[in-house]
Amino acid sequence: MIFPMRTRQLADATGAGSAGLENVIEVGGLRQKYGDFEAVRGVSFTVPRGEVFALLGTNGAGKTTTMEVLEGYTPATDGTVRVLGLDPIRQQRQLRPRMGIMLQEGGFLGDLTVAETVDLWKGMSEDAGRPVTLSGSTELPGGFTLMGTRIRRVDRATMGALELVGLEKKARVKVKQLSGGQKRRLDLALAVLGSPEVLFLDEPTTGMDPEARRTTWKVVENLRDAGTTVLLTTHYLEEAERLADRLAIMHEGRIHTHGTVEEVVATSGDMITFRLPGTSWTFGDLPALDGVPPVLTYAGGGTEVGYTLTGADTATRAHAALRPLMTWADAHGETLERLAVRRGTLEDVFMRIVGEAGL
Amino acid sequence: MRTDVLHAVRLARVDLALVGRNTTVLFNVLLMPLLLAAVYTSFPTGDIAGIDGELFVLTGVPGLMLAFAVFINLVNSFTARREELVLKRLRGGQPSAAAVMAGSGLSALALFLFQVLLLGVWVHRSEGVLPANVPMIVVAAALGVAVFGLIAAAFSGLTPNAEMAQITVLPVLLVMMVAAPIAFPAEVLPGPLAVISGLLPVTPIVEMMRTGFLGADHFSDGGEKLTMIEQWVAALPSIGILLAWVAIGAVLARWLFRWEPRHS
Repeated sequence: MIFPMRTRQLADATGAGSAGLENVIEVGGLRQKYGDFEAVRGVSFTVPRGEVFALLGTNGAGKTTTMEVLEGYTPATDGTVRVLGLDPIRQQRQLRPRMGIMLQEGGFLGDLTVAETVDLWKGMSEDAGRPVTLSGSTELPGGFTLMGTRIRRVDRATMGALELVGLEKKARVKVKQLSGGQKRRLDLALAVLGSPEVLFLDEPTTGMDPEARRTTWKVVENLRDAGTTVLLTTHYLEEAERLADRLAIMHEGRIHTHGTVEEVVATSGDMITFRLPGTSWTFGDLPALDGVPPVLTYAGGGTEVGYTLTGADTATRAHAALRPLMTWADAHGETLERLAVRRGTLEDVFMRIVGEAGL
Repeated sequence: MRTDVLHAVRLARVDLALVGRNTTVLFNVLLMPLLLAAVYTSFPTGDIAGIDGELFVLTGVPGLMLAFAVFINLVNSFTARREELVLKRLRGGQPSAAAVMAGSGLSALALFLFQVLLLGVWVHRSEGVLPANVPMIVVAAALGVAVFGLIAAAFSGLTPNAEMAQITVLPVLLVMMVAAPIAFPAEVLPGPLAVISGLLPVTPIVEMMRTGFLGADHFSDGGEKLTMIEQWVAALPSIGILLAWVAIGAVLARWLFRWEPRHS
């Protein structure tokens, strides 16, 4: 049962009730305590249908805890959580067939083969009324016995799931013989098997080689294009930049910044850096640009100068700041060595948040 | 409900396939109770409770099978699967908590019934006796799996890892082997112990099994032949005790069972 009133209020309260879009994930004021330790300290965000939302953060930031509350593993200590308008704990039965989960690690029956594992998951998905629509390019014959083990046929649907993640050559290998990255890929195949409406990926590409990582990204992008809503955690900034429509940076149980990649990166400001010969320069010698004082570091007999411009006009602030800087250089007869202007990166924002919060 | 049943059957089938692939489990679960039965019956005994001693002991062997094929097997599997995060993964997938538990229970029941079937063949070949009341044997097996499956779930919660399972199962195993009327009737135990033995869940199961095999009253010391209806009437107190144990087991399991390893 969906409570439309409540849903609407929550969406408004978190300020993300984007026009016409249904919010598939809604988190309001979530708190999660383990004993005395508060892993999540008041987190709110919404994810509209068909969007990829990334939770970024260091280990222990509270990403996985937030995920586990949404997945229905743990009840929230405080706050509201809705997935597809349903309560992840009390309405688990309605919700479960509609969502896919990729956990951070393991949890396979090691003595089953890869194909048997997919078959088991496929069967359970079908039992729950979610037929698997994948179809591979081939099937593997069975019905014979090899070294005392009965070899079963591997059907097209199972092969389709394995082809999706590039494991088709491992169909008859026991799961315990897979490498870490291969297990992650199997995990992904299981998570997407039942065409979930909402997909939770907890550090999906950790331990994968670059090629597998790209395959995974492609799978996620294809699902998003097909309308799946995805919540993913990662500590690879590159992954978030590539996949996420919007992202939030978490640190010590709180969301410090969130928005589209563009919006978040814009908060990092533009950087102007250069070098002046000699180490006699002090803070007071240099001009403030757009109200921002310089940061000086002394290295190799010179002075490295840096400005971080955070002015509101993100398009013109770097240009506007360069003019007074040039005027200053002309007036002092100095050359700004290795002058560089660059836009901030997600990493700058990330490091600022992690650093500010006291690491 | 229908989905749960389908999931449980599917998981049970996978469970059984895995038992077949694991020699250690195969030995502990299937062979161990049969070996013990051979040891128990190798001592020369006279008549017990009015019947041939060997027949008496053999029809008590389901008590041992219950300990190995159901209790120890399930404590091991619940603990190992929890530590390997299999339980967490299953619970995050399609099956409900009830379906995951029922799947393990069903596979244990299948193993247990298979062993009782082997025992039936043994009893027939060596004693020429055919089971008198198969439904009672099946009901006893189902109740036994329900009780000891739930107790196993609770004990797995007390067991930090799969290696420790060998130790945590010992108290229950000892009680089951010593206090249950496998090789002697409960009545030969001194007063209070006989009462305690009668209240333990393994005793009513052994008595129902024995009565089911022999068609005679083995709930009391009598051992006289009973009609089918009289057998069921005589079994009612045992069924009552077992249902009470199902409730106790459910409470214990709910309290102690864990789906995930403890956070470090």
